[in-house]
Amino acid sequence: MHRQAILLACSLSAALLSACREQPQASAPTEVVVHPRAALPADPADPAWQGAPAFEAPLLLQDMVEPRQLEASTSSLRVLALSDGSRIAFRLEWDDATRDDELRPGGFSDACAVQLPAQVAVDVPAPQMGEGGKPVEITFWRASWQATVDGRSDALQELYPGAAIDHYPFEAAPLEASADRQREMVALYAPARALGNSMAGARENAVQELVATGPGTLSEGASRRADGRGVRTSSGWAVVISRELPPGLTPGAAAQVAFAVWEGSHQEVGARKMRTAWVPLSLEVAP
Amino acid sequence: MAKVYNWQIGREMSYWYPEARPERQFAAVFDVNKCIACQTCTLACKTTWTSGRGQEYMLWNNVETKPYGFYPLAWDVNVLQALGPQRWESGRYDGRTIFEAARPGERALGWRPTELDYAHPNVGEDDCHGEVEKGAAFGGQHLLWFFYLARICNHCTYPACLASCPRGSIYKRPEDGIVLLDQGRCRGYQECVKACPYKKVFFNPLTGVSEKCIACFPKIEQGLQPQCFANCIGKIRLAGWLSTPDKADPANPLDYLVHVRKVAKPLMPQLGLEPNVYYIPPLHAPPGFLEQMFGPGVEEALATYRTADDDLAGLLGLFGSTERVVPRWRREGDWILGLEEGGAEIVRVPLREPVHIRAGLDPRFGIQRTNCP
Repeated sequence: MHRQAILLACSLSAALLSACREQPQASAPTEVVVHPRAALPADPADPAWQGAPAFEAPLLLQDMVEPRQLEASTSSLRVLALSDGSRIAFRLEWDDATRDDELRPGGFSDACAVQLPAQVAVDVPAPQMGEGGKPVEITFWRASWQATVDGRSDALQELYPGAAIDHYPFEAAPLEASADRQREMVALYAPARALGNSMAGARENAVQELVATGPGTLSEGASRRADGRGVRTSSGWAVVISRELPPGLTPGAAAQVAFAVWEGSHQEVGARKMRTAWVPLSLEVAP
Repeated sequence: MAKVYNWQIGREMSYWYPEARPERQFAAVFDVNKCIACQTCTLACKTTWTSGRGQEYMLWNNVETKPYGFYPLAWDVNVLQALGPQRWESGRYDGRTIFEAARPGERALGWRPTELDYAHPNVGEDDCHGEVEKGAAFGGQHLLWFFYLARICNHCTYPACLASCPRGSIYKRPEDGIVLLDQGRCRGYQECVKACPYKKVFFNPLTGVSEKCIACFPKIEQGLQPQCFANCIGKIRLAGWLSTPDKADPANPLDYLVHVRKVAKPLMPQLGLEPNVYYIPPLHAPPGFLEQMFGPGVEEALATYRTADDDLAGLLGLFGSTERVVPRWRREGDWILGLEEGGAEIVRVPLREPVHIRAGLDPRFGIQRTNCP
């Protein structure tokens, strides 16, 4: 029995090795090539994307820092990239059988992100959210925000259509002539919003611009005029994320980009995600 | 992981951060025997803090009927089941805490309630055992025991919510030990909801971040007890400051109840959080259940409670007698005095309330009175 298993393993290895040898060498791109384009498409379905070379990014577990992702979900990500010389746009597409675009207790949204060094230089920040002195900039798209941008209202009934609410104190008939105090109560009962923390609620943009100098340090970043739009495809999501080119990203410069995908139905959120390491990024010269 | 000392389990344990006790620790004693589950505390909290959009389901304070009531569903049995056997030996806990039992890649052993687990607070938990025909009254004898368990955030010395937040959005205030969740920093990962075994952090789906009991810190800062304490009509609660056992001061009412007389016990100390809400256990529940819920020493606590002397009985009378936090106390004959830190009197309650017995016949109206004992 034992001998048979060894024999089987040997023959399998031999078959795999020969398969590797037979594979054409130059078939899979090893970097994200940013194709030049005069006008950047905002929509994932725009035919302008057809000219861009595709990079198939295998996704890794985030198993470096707690809370770790120890069970794989999304296996790979298809990346296209275009630039008009001042902005860069990525089109990310991945398979996801479930549409998760609502936030609930114990329920999470699908999402993806593009990470670039704040400054493209020879000295590359750590791929896991950057490091002290070498920040990374993250453009984060979330399906729940996309749903809001696409018109879903900011009410409990959107999540629970049958919900009946007896009473919100700030919606009762005002007791006084001026109802300013009552209007202030809306903010009192939504302290995160009162502090400008917009993790949910009405939005005009489905992406968030963030900066990080290591795990756990994510915070709001300076504006790179980021934009994003995601649509459901027959097999998952296609998302366009665009922003200004980072300083130092010029044709010929050695640059890097990293990606991450969150599968909401797999309870992926924050550090629980599938991600890439740094992927080489090169900007093609405009003709 | 750091090594910290947890006096409730009588040993060192692993925790994500080093030991950092606050200057003083907000704490409370709840006398389970006085609770009638009227939910006035729940409503006092609800109207004060959680009447907003996305907070509809949140109960920072709740009262559930044990053993069959939970909020959220099965909050306690789920974590006990996951933790496995919990053995105590002479006041020392020999099992694993939720920090020591954390699964690979996690900071604490937790579980995530779903929205359905929050969907039916209190529904069915007081119902009689067995089927009751529609419209019929239950004619049998209640053979089952039960008690009401009022719960708020325990403002733990070693909070699992704080340990589990990868962003450090939760902090324990050094001045009073109150555990707060920074509403500006939270990104709604719900790691705290998963890790808190008491399930006292709630995710707000409309703000996209989590929220929790704040021990009414704006009141505490003014020397007042939180809303759920001040509004408790059963007068079951006393808020104050708790020392570590080595610094116990009998003149501090909480130290006296927890450390000196040992009548008040923490909720599930074996989980390892050193929770700071203490319970005088119910008199008529099986000791095994109570030990699982409140740790060792429950029977001794109840023996002391049953035979309370004038000091202990008198101090219990101080519960609910004032909205002010009472940091010190003493008995003067038949009076119990609640005092300021400096000794000034805040409140005074009699050891025994005067008893008035009215004559059976009301001579004015010529009717028979009903005197309730």
